Amino acid sequence: MISPIHIITIGLGVAFALGFVNKKAKNFSATIMLVAIGLMGAISVAWLTALLQGAETVQIFTAGFKPPYSINLMMGIHEAFLTTLINVAGLLGGLYLLQSLKNAGNHAIMVFLVFIMGLNVIIMTRDAFNLFVFMEVVSIATAGLIILTETGKSIQAGFKYMLATGIIAGILLLGIIFAYYFSGTLNIDSLAEANITTLKGGSVAVLMILVSIILELKPFPANGWALDVYEASNPGISAMLSAASATALYFVLFKVLAIANENWYHILTVAGMLTFIGSNLLGIKQNKARRLLGYSSVGQMGLLMAILGLKPILGDKLEFIAATILVSHYLAKAGLFWLAGIVENDNIKNWSALRRKPILLVLFGTFLFVLIGFPPFPSFYGKWELIMQLSSNQHYYVLALILLGSFLEGIYLFRWLGYAIKMDFETLPELNINWNKIIPPVLFGVLVYVAGYFTSALVPELSALNYIPLLFIAGIYFIDSLPAYIKNTVAIIGMSIYGYQILPPLYENDMLRFIFAAIFIGGGILTLTAGYAYKGKRSGFYPVALLMYAGLAYIIQATNTLEFFFGWELMTAGSYFLIIRGKKSMPHGLSYMLFSIAGAYAILAGFGLSFAGTGTYNLSSLAGISSNITIIFSLLAIGFMTKTASLGLHIWLPGAHAEAESDVSPMVSAILLKAGVFGLLLLIINMGHNTETAQIGYILGWLGALTALVGNLAAAFQEDAKRLLAYSSIAQLGYILFALAMMSHLGLLTAMYYSINHFLYKAILFLTIGAVVMRVGTHMMYKMGGLIKNMPLAFIAVLIGIIALSGVPPLSGFGGKWLLYNAILAKGWYLQGAMVLFSGIIAFLYLFKLIYSVFLGQMKDNLRHVKDISIWFAIPVYILIIGIMIISAKPEWVLQPLGDMISQWYPNAALAWNGGLATGPYGYWNGNGIMITVGIMFVSLATWLWMMSRKAVQVKQFNIVYSAEAPQRPETTHISYNIYAGYNKALGWIVAPKITAFWDTMTEWIHSLAQYVRQLYSGNGQLYAIYVLAYIVVVYFTMIF
Amino acid sequence: MEYIALGTGMLVILAGLWAIMTRKNLIRIIIGFSLFDTGIHLVLVAISYVKGGTAPILDSTVCIQDAAQRIVDPVPQALVLTAIVIGLGVTALMLAFAMKMHKEKGTLDIRSFKDLKW
Repeated sequence: MISPIHIITIGLGVAFALGFVNKKAKNFSATIMLVAIGLMGAISVAWLTALLQGAETVQIFTAGFKPPYSINLMMGIHEAFLTTLINVAGLLGGLYLLQSLKNAGNHAIMVFLVFIMGLNVIIMTRDAFNLFVFMEVVSIATAGLIILTETGKSIQAGFKYMLATGIIAGILLLGIIFAYYFSGTLNIDSLAEANITTLKGGSVAVLMILVSIILELKPFPANGWALDVYEASNPGISAMLSAASATALYFVLFKVLAIANENWYHILTVAGMLTFIGSNLLGIKQNKARRLLGYSSVGQMGLLMAILGLKPILGDKLEFIAATILVSHYLAKAGLFWLAGIVENDNIKNWSALRRKPILLVLFGTFLFVLIGFPPFPSFYGKWELIMQLSSNQHYYVLALILLGSFLEGIYLFRWLGYAIKMDFETLPELNINWNKIIPPVLFGVLVYVAGYFTSALVPELSALNYIPLLFIAGIYFIDSLPAYIKNTVAIIGMSIYGYQILPPLYENDMLRFIFAAIFIGGGILTLTAGYAYKGKRSGFYPVALLMYAGLAYIIQATNTLEFFFGWELMTAGSYFLIIRGKKSMPHGLSYMLFSIAGAYAILAGFGLSFAGTGTYNLSSLAGISSNITIIFSLLAIGFMTKTASLGLHIWLPGAHAEAESDVSPMVSAILLKAGVFGLLLLIINMGHNTETAQIGYILGWLGALTALVGNLAAAFQEDAKRLLAYSSIAQLGYILFALAMMSHLGLLTAMYYSINHFLYKAILFLTIGAVVMRVGTHMMYKMGGLIKNMPLAFIAVLIGIIALSGVPPLSGFGGKWLLYNAILAKGWYLQGAMVLFSGIIAFLYLFKLIYSVFLGQMKDNLRHVKDISIWFAIPVYILIIGIMIISAKPEWVLQPLGDMISQWYPNAALAWNGGLATGPYGYWNGNGIMITVGIMFVSLATWLWMMSRKAVQVKQFNIVYSAEAPQRPETTHISYNIYAGYNKALGWIVAPKITAFWDTMTEWIHSLAQYVRQLYSGNGQLYAIYVLAYIVVVYFTMIF
Repeated sequence: MEYIALGTGMLVILAGLWAIMTRKNLIRIIIGFSLFDTGIHLVLVAISYVKGGTAPILDSTVCIQDAAQRIVDPVPQALVLTAIVIGLGVTALMLAFAMKMHKEKGTLDIRSFKDLKW
């Protein structure tokens, strides 16, 4: 095995040798540099492999003496891993910077090599003074590299950098010499043994050492210089600083922390959290890409610092958590800065340029999701473990702050992603593409998936996870260049096979899960069928659609909280990309994502607390929670309600559903919302039996009733057909929440029946209206009219949909209402029940408006020749109609097994079934009988009407008289704009957008706060030096008191 | 007596920091920085001082057996050499930056280099 010291000899030797190379032989020098870094990396990798296979950690003694008489280096698993990271970053970063380095000449190439070599040494060295020397070497090299691409700004940034790091280095040197004075050694391990913090002066020495290393990690607010450097340097250099330097310096802190006492853990936690929150808050106001990445980078290092400070709590989990987050940050941030160099334009709005090369857009999205901590990336597992450990140790404040900081980070990262995906440009901004600039980010993009896979292998709770769907999605991504119909077929086949595998066992064992799985997978196949209507490639649609469905399936199959959360996050990611595909969906995608992230964090915190209480991730253990019941239940319920769009958390829904593509609207409405229902149901069957949760149930009941009322009323005032349906979904989910909140047998049964119904009729309505919109080219109902002639298929579908939705006999909605009123009477919630009844009546308003404005009345001139809806939309719609017919005529096929299942948890007041006849506490209901009765009535009436109509005179559209006059433009007599003006005047105040206004105000406050705080960074380098000194003084006083 | 060097070193450090924090001229700030460095070097040497000790050179006056009692600690003296070299490098680089900054804006006032902020 080659001695690790040759990492240094190669680096230094080659750097010196390059001084003798002819200045014009730049290609030669650059190649030699890359070869040297490659060799250094090879040594690290060789050691890493050997150490992983059980080789022993080695110490390298220089000059033939043992420490403390000589400098010693160490090569253990940490060092081997981290030097590997540094050298890989160095190699790819060097490749990326090839042109810039060659333009700047041989000296720049030397400096880059010395920079990488120095980082290797500061990782390996165990000698404090040696550490100082090489930190200075790196620091001087950095100052040189900052002006690799010389601009006025990079020179200023370089000067500020030198000023700040110069002071920091001076303090570090003083600390080291005092530590030597008190202990007689410079070896870090011997210093730790000497325990100098017990001495009065010794603790000052430790303070100076540690505070300077903390300052090197750029704590808020003493980090203005670092932000300037990230912004003004060549992005290739910023990538190195953010990935390589920060990683090495973090390890220095890890290493040197051995000399400190436990007070320092608190200081690290506070300093780290302050940085994490502070920089993510300020990031919100930032619109320059590289500075924004700087804020994010600084914030992530703050989180890592806090994690180190939590060492006493995290115990042996520390390394897993720190390593996963560190590696994620390393890969993502290097990748993002590299992308910044390709995009060149520094305004985040111009990152739409990435759309010119879709692979880069995919990489960009990947790296952002890595930073936020989505599965399947390493940071997801790290964050999960961190939250679990924090809550089992009752560190609730830190937990809340970490989630808050992550949320703030989510705001700006997803806004940015939205700009990249959707910002409108007539011509997209240019990209600067060179092969050597593409390779590094692509490799890191691949690595981040690989790292995620290997991290998940370390998590025992995920061992049962089925990776085949994810591989299938990856496969779909690789055939993205094929036409849409091929991918559609592949996707449908894949989902069918998957459904065939998971549905039958669920049908046998678990009716509840079967119903949801059938909605998710069956609904998925049906909505995908509509995809045949789309021509062309439909780039990027299939991977994200399948990602959402895979996430939904994972949720159903989850047996523990980690699997559930894994699926939940995948589903969120997939649905976000689906929603943002719509033409005007940029803001709606963002608000969907932000509510989703906040909801996911509430769920995460809830799961954390439940883990703290029960010590297991098992989902069924929710039933055994005995402490913190109220808070756990509330957190989880809020999390799930962000998906069911309950009042207050609903503002993302109308835009997201209405602006989505025609076949996406039913996916995210009829199907996706059920994920929240499933979550709530799980919660209630497991935790609903406590007196505490019954009180929350009472509140949720009111919330559900209010949601139903406001949703229906708002739907009645819409002019946009898809928005009308979106508000209707909010209301329907309000009914479901109301029914669930009763926490009774009938309540749960009602909720299940409503869920099935809502899936059926909302899929029918959204598919049909979406298909109509594709034909007529507008969402606005008053621009349609009289379409019954041209679109009979669509008319019949909508008619059946609204009959089912309105709850009149004979279709399934009636059964739902019957169950609901029984449940209300059994529960005794009369007031809320009246409200629900009232909102049910309001529903007729918008349902009438939908069918009247679109299909009845006078035809518009421009729509005279539209065709009926696409056959590919009609097929799933009519299959769903058959579904409605079956479930209306034979409700017992579903309700009876469901009732049996629910009786496990809520046996009281169950329905008694006798064939198709259900008897409840307040009466009986026979779906089949009603169907037949109404059917006979319908047929006889229709026959009579047909007989009568033979005598009728056919009238043409223009052959009418209106107010005793023949109108010249008959379509103007079709009054469908603002037809409920009167109701609006009377009841409009209920649906005034107060909640939207509330969230808008919140947003504005956060932005103003960020604007106020960021004035700390005045741009004056001297002020930044003062902050550095002040930071030291403040830490000193914290230590005293 | 042995604290004079230490005290002086501390004072020089403070003087240097004062200059860094209050002077507006880049060159003066760099001079302050040099002072700060020099002060640290003084402290380094002062710390190694042993009362009545002599230079850490083994020759006819100091033999190996009683060296530990009679000489000052050689380690910080070795370190200070390295530190001086580094300080020199940093100062030179800062001056180079100052020169480039002057070329850009024609002034040395640090307040006029606020193009990067927030």
